[in-house]
Amino acid sequence: MSVQLRGTDAGISIRWIPKYTTLERVLHWVHTAAFIPLSVTGFIIYASWLMPLAQGAAGESLRLIHRISAVFFGGVPIVYAILAPRRMLMNMKEFLTFSRYDLEWLKVAFPYYVLGRHKDMPPQPRFNTGERLTAVVMVVGTIVFGITGLPMWFLRGIMPDWLYQAMVIVHDLMFIVTFAMFVVHFYLAVVHPMMWQSLVSMRYGVVSESYAREHHTMWYYGDKRAKEMWEKHLKTTKEGAETSES
Amino acid sequence: MMDRRSFLKVSAAGLGAFALDGAAALPALAKENRLAMFYDNAKCVGCKACQMACKQWNKLDPFSTDPEGIYESPEGLAPDVWTLIKLADYPLNERRSFLFIKVGCMHCGEPACAAVCPTKALLKLPNGLVRLDQNLCNGCGYCSQVCPFHIPQMRVLSQLSGEAKSTKCTFCQDRVALGLRPYCVQSCPAGALDWGDREAMLAKAKSRLEALKTDFPQVNLYGENELGGLGRLYLLLAPPEVYGLPQDPAFPPGVSLWQKVIQPVGQVAFGATALGIVAAFFVVRRKVHMEEVE
Repeated sequence: MSVQLRGTDAGISIRWIPKYTTLERVLHWVHTAAFIPLSVTGFIIYASWLMPLAQGAAGESLRLIHRISAVFFGGVPIVYAILAPRRMLMNMKEFLTFSRYDLEWLKVAFPYYVLGRHKDMPPQPRFNTGERLTAVVMVVGTIVFGITGLPMWFLRGIMPDWLYQAMVIVHDLMFIVTFAMFVVHFYLAVVHPMMWQSLVSMRYGVVSESYAREHHTMWYYGDKRAKEMWEKHLKTTKEGAETSES
Repeated sequence: MMDRRSFLKVSAAGLGAFALDGAAALPALAKENRLAMFYDNAKCVGCKACQMACKQWNKLDPFSTDPEGIYESPEGLAPDVWTLIKLADYPLNERRSFLFIKVGCMHCGEPACAAVCPTKALLKLPNGLVRLDQNLCNGCGYCSQVCPFHIPQMRVLSQLSGEAKSTKCTFCQDRVALGLRPYCVQSCPAGALDWGDREAMLAKAKSRLEALKTDFPQVNLYGENELGGLGRLYLLLAPPEVYGLPQDPAFPPGVSLWQKVIQPVGQVAFGATALGIVAAFFVVRRKVHMEEVE
């Protein structure tokens, strides 16, 4: 897939590489559309300073919205598993594959994303360390919200009190983790000036060739070649540093 | 003949008295002294007049129960059963005895239900009542899951939508606000129930304890110090467990963790994340070189 720009920039051609399927993009936005009302309604009941909004009929509506959104939130992985099981499995495998390059990535991530220092990034597969951590938290979160939320919904009074209390606490803790992560995810995907391609990829399903080459070398070049290139790059920069010192 | 000055004086006094009277009808709710109900196990005859009175005053619907082999009817508290006479079969002084107990909300000094209530529908009032405002209740049901005595009962209208209201004995908060006694106390023909200042009720309970000690060596007072002192004081002829009461009821530790640690910590975490992100945005906006961005 390539795009020929017209007008003053004519002559520049961007090659686009598919990253997400249509189903993945649709489900991503359904997940988002469910997560936001879930967070808002949950937070209102959670935060005592918002109490007036949780009282009486308003609170009943909040609890109803929370449940309706929860059905969509939990429905997303189920629909994905039914319609694209192999693709889901492949993604899950990728989410859970970590290597020593992830530690290196984490080291340069702060100066890169926060300070805007344009450093060379260690080789990364289709999802970089940050994306994979986000995905793992979201997968774990969805499971934990399900196994604590559904019993609170349907088994109140049937399960023992201590278990119900434990489930409320775990549900709350999971919310703290996932919501904090969501804020970071939103920032990097929507606000961060360097990450303009993420919204493009979640709308059209593609990233530019140059972006893939820079951020996901293992995906672009293949594992072996990307690692070789990185080792070679490290060697030359080290030698370069040594010669400039001497 | 009344001159203008005395007319004004009388009018002002009348208005003042009217205003005072209006206020006097309500002060029970704001009164600092804790009120309490005293139940005397030795006097209760198990007639269930209190149970009927409760239903009558609070307009609670009747429902059918299985009458076979049980004295306790209904079997437990329910959305339409806020108080109940229960029966304990116990060898008191080595003689088989049927001991009664009136169960219902204890109006704890430190109520876990009010601590977890996200709407203040359940609220500890200065006069000791744990009030329940059905209009504020959103049906979350937390109260029913933290009470050490398993008192609040959810009137569930739909399990699916979650529509529900919490119910429990309110000590007839509407009557008490008018300076009246709870209706169960008023209805007791045996004098087993009493109502008033908690200090006075405690004094009465203690004098009864002294009086019964010789004949009933196991007699005990329940509720003086439990959970910040209960609003329902029991003079019991047998140990509390015999009646199904917890020996040492405790404020659920999970509730303290949830309310005192997790909720504030979570809000700090959200605030810190948001602030960090805003700061990061301004830093990166100054430093970034967009011409290098792919």
